[in-house]
Amino acid sequence: MLEVKNVSAFYGNIEALRAIDLWARAGRITTIIGANGAGKTTLLRAISGLIPTRYGEIRYVGQDITNLEPHRIVKMGISHIPEGRQVFASMSVEENLELGAYLRPRRHRKEIREDLAFVYDIFPVLGERKGQMAGTLSGGEQQMLAIARALMSKPRMLLLDEPSMGLAPLVIKDIFTCLKRLHMEGLTILLVEQDAQIALSVSDYGYVMRAGKVRLEGDAAGLLQSDDIKKIYLGEEQPPEVG
Amino acid sequence: MPLGSIVDFLGNCPQYIANGLANGCIYILVAMGFNIIFNSTGIINFAQGEFCMFGGLFAFTFGVTLGLPLPVAIILAILATAIIGALMERLMIYPLRNASVITAIIATVGASILFKALGRMFWPKEAYKVPEFSTGNITIPGVTVSRQFLWVLGLTVVSVLLVYLFFNRTRAGRAMRACSINRQAASLVGINVSRMSLYSFLLAATLGGIAGLINAPYASYSIGLFLGIKGFTAAVVGGLGNTFGAVTGGLVLGLLEELIPGFLTVVLGVSTGYKDAVAALLLVTVLLLRPQGLIGKGVVEKV
Repeated sequence: MLEVKNVSAFYGNIEALRAIDLWARAGRITTIIGANGAGKTTLLRAISGLIPTRYGEIRYVGQDITNLEPHRIVKMGISHIPEGRQVFASMSVEENLELGAYLRPRRHRKEIREDLAFVYDIFPVLGERKGQMAGTLSGGEQQMLAIARALMSKPRMLLLDEPSMGLAPLVIKDIFTCLKRLHMEGLTILLVEQDAQIALSVSDYGYVMRAGKVRLEGDAAGLLQSDDIKKIYLGEEQPPEVG
Repeated sequence: MPLGSIVDFLGNCPQYIANGLANGCIYILVAMGFNIIFNSTGIINFAQGEFCMFGGLFAFTFGVTLGLPLPVAIILAILATAIIGALMERLMIYPLRNASVITAIIATVGASILFKALGRMFWPKEAYKVPEFSTGNITIPGVTVSRQFLWVLGLTVVSVLLVYLFFNRTRAGRAMRACSINRQAASLVGINVSRMSLYSFLLAATLGGIAGLINAPYASYSIGLFLGIKGFTAAVVGGLGNTFGAVTGGLVLGLLEELIPGFLTVVLGVSTGYKDAVAALLLVTVLLLRPQGLIGKGVVEKV
C-alpha cells in the first residue's frame, strides 16, 4: 500500500533520514520502533508532506506522492496523527471532528453525520464532551480526539505517531484496543512508537530504526523475541522498564 | 486648576467622544487587518497601512478622475485594493512559505516602501479630496458630526459583523481559524494552508481599503505609515489576533487621542501637538503592564 524507497531527508544540513526502505502492506499494522531521535517522526513527516524529501521516492497505491503538499496527501486517503496530538485547543470537540471532515464535499453531509456517530461509538467519552473545548481534555482524551479527527477524513491509511506518549498504562491499553478495532474495520496503519513491547504486540510487521537508518525488520512476533532488538533499539544498555 | 476650565472640558466631552469614535472605527478596521494576517500566517504585515492608502487613492481615481458614480467607485476601489493584497501574497509571501516568519515580515516592510513609492508615482503628491458618501453636518446639542460619520460607524459595524460571521459560520473561515490555532494540524486535516494565507491577505486588504475610504475626505500616498501605526497600536492594545481586542483597542485609542489632548488644552492650557504621542504612550503602557493586551488571554505556547 505504501512504499518508501531509498528516502533521505534533512533538517538543515543534518541528515535525519538515510536511505530508508519500508513497506506498509494493505490491511496490516506496520510499526516503526526506535529510541528518541532515531528518525521515526521525521519519516512520518516526510510521508505526509510536512517536510521535503531530498532523495528517494514515496509511493502510495502505485502513485508517486513524494513531496506532495500535505493537503493533497490527506485527500489521497492518508491521515497523519501527529506527535503530541495537536488538537485545535480553543475549538470544541465537535468542531475538531468537523474540521477532520474538511475535505469531504458538503453533499456528503449525511455520511459525515454517520461517521461522527461512528467515532462517538468508538470513543464514547468524546460524545459526552462534544461541546467542551479540546484544550481542556485530558491527554488520553486528546489522543482519542486526534485519532477520531483523523478518521473523519475517511482515510484508508493512518500514520500514527507515539500514541502512548505521556499516558497512563490503562489509557494506553484502551487506545491500542481501539487501534485493533480500526484495523479490523480494514484500516491500514503505520505506527511509530517508543514503547516497543505494546507496539509489536498489536502489529504484523516491524522496523527498528536507529540514527536515521532502518537497522532491523521482520515479523512483529519474531522481533518481540529477538535479542538483537534489545541491542539495537536500546543502544546496548540495560533494558528499562517497558509498558 | 481652575474649576471653570474643567467644566468647559466636560462640556466638550460629547464632541471629543464623537470624534474619537470616528477615528476609532478606522483604527478598528486596520487592526482587524493586522489580526487576520497574523492569525493565519504569524506575519505582522507592515504594509497594512498602505492598503488603506490604496483604498483612498483608488477612490480618488475612480470617483474623481474617472468621474464614476460614487457607489461604483467605492466598490471598484475596494476590489482594486483586495487585488493588490492578493498579488502581494502570491508574489512576495508565497515564495517565502518555507522561510522563517521574520523573513516574511521584513518582506512586508519592503512591500510597504514599494507601495508608498507607487502611490507617489501614479497619484498627485499633495493630499486631495476624495468624495464623501454624504455631505453636510448633523448637530444635536453639544455635538456636531458630519453625515460621513454615520457612514463610518455603519460600515465599521457591518464589517466587524461580517468578519465575525465569516470566521465562525463559513467553511473557509473555520479553516482560517484552524490555521491560527495550529498550522501544522490544519494542514494534516487537509486545509491548504497557503491558500488560507492568500485569503487572509485578500481579506485584510479589503478591510484596509474600506478603512482608507472612510478615512475620507483626504487621501494621500503618505497616509499608510500613520494609519499603519495607529492600527497596529490598536491591535496590540486589544490583544494581537483577537477580533474583539481590535474593536476594544481601536475604540480606546480613538477616544484617548481626543480626550487626553482635549484635557491638556482646555484644563492645563498646554499645546495640542501631543495627539499622536497618545498612541505611542498607550502602546508602551500596555506592553509594560499587560503585554497580552486588554482582551488577550496571553500567548499559548505550543509544545
